[in-house]
Amino acid sequence: MTEPGDDHVAPFDDPAHEREWLVQERAMQRERLRLDPAGDDARSQRYRLLARVLREPSAHALPVDFAQQMAARVACAPARHTTAEASFERGLTWMLGALLTVAAAVVMMIYGSTWLPSFAAVARSLDAANSRWLLALAGCLGASWLFGRSQRHHSGH
Amino acid sequence: MQDNHPDRELVDAVLANRAGAFARLVQEYQGLCWHIIQRMVRNPEDARELCQDTFLRVHQCLHQYRYESALKSWIGRIAWTIALRHLQHKSIPLLAATDNADDDALVENIGDGFDLEAACADAEMARHLHAAMEALPPLQRALLTLYYLDETPIPQIALITGIASGTIKSHLFRARLRLRSVLEAHTGVAA
Repeated sequence: MTEPGDDHVAPFDDPAHEREWLVQERAMQRERLRLDPAGDDARSQRYRLLARVLREPSAHALPVDFAQQMAARVACAPARHTTAEASFERGLTWMLGALLTVAAAVVMMIYGSTWLPSFAAVARSLDAANSRWLLALAGCLGASWLFGRSQRHHSGH
Repeated sequence: MQDNHPDRELVDAVLANRAGAFARLVQEYQGLCWHIIQRMVRNPEDARELCQDTFLRVHQCLHQYRYESALKSWIGRIAWTIALRHLQHKSIPLLAATDNADDDALVENIGDGFDLEAACADAEMARHLHAAMEALPPLQRALLTLYYLDETPIPQIALITGIASGTIKSHLFRARLRLRSVLEAHTGVAA
């Protein structure tokens, strides 16, 4: 027998327990549908009484304007949260940026004399073919950056 | 993520901060959250505060909702977790140690004649039943409420509570058996 609410739930190992479960389920369904209890046996009628009592809402409840109260509460809270969070993130980014710049300057001062001449030599040795490949690479990078920008613009960010 | 998900319109509206959207979401699910929390913690003041915590959390985390389950299950799960944490904080056990040895006797007991309508009119019997329900452990109280009052199917209760469907079925079965035995004790039928 298939009862509503039984989907995907394995039957009990004990057949007597499964039979009792089905009586409980049938009584719940009959009470939900408000069917005439005249044909139900005593056991089913007791389960129907249980169903009736269990379906009664609690005497206590949330205030009638609870949803409006919550909406008003979150309307102010997230703005404050976002502002504080954003300013913290901005400060952190500036601090890291400054640290990185200072570190780069220090490294340049200490080791610059060793590797800067090598870069200059490589730049001088670039022939026309190599330059074309470098231009193509720069074009690809530029195109994907532009594509990403237009995507962000369309999604509204 | 599904584009035609039934909860998508409401979720998108809340995430876009559209006027009235969050109030609509709260209105839709406040009953479920109240039932879960109130049946678990019982104290109405605590329950109201925990319901507020639930919806604040829903608002903070809604962008993390991935439509893998119904929004009802996702919100119910938050309410369940918050109520559970409250019980743990207050050292209230979710499930008292119970003796299941007499379940077989209760199953075998067929019971005597019973008049449903007369029993419904019996205020003392209703009091007995309510007292018996209150005496159930928080887990069984919450499961019965979800199953009967919210008409939540067992697989969805499993998603909300993180408890296996078979275990939920077993708790529902035993809780109903206990309550039936209370009824029979009141109407004078020997188990």
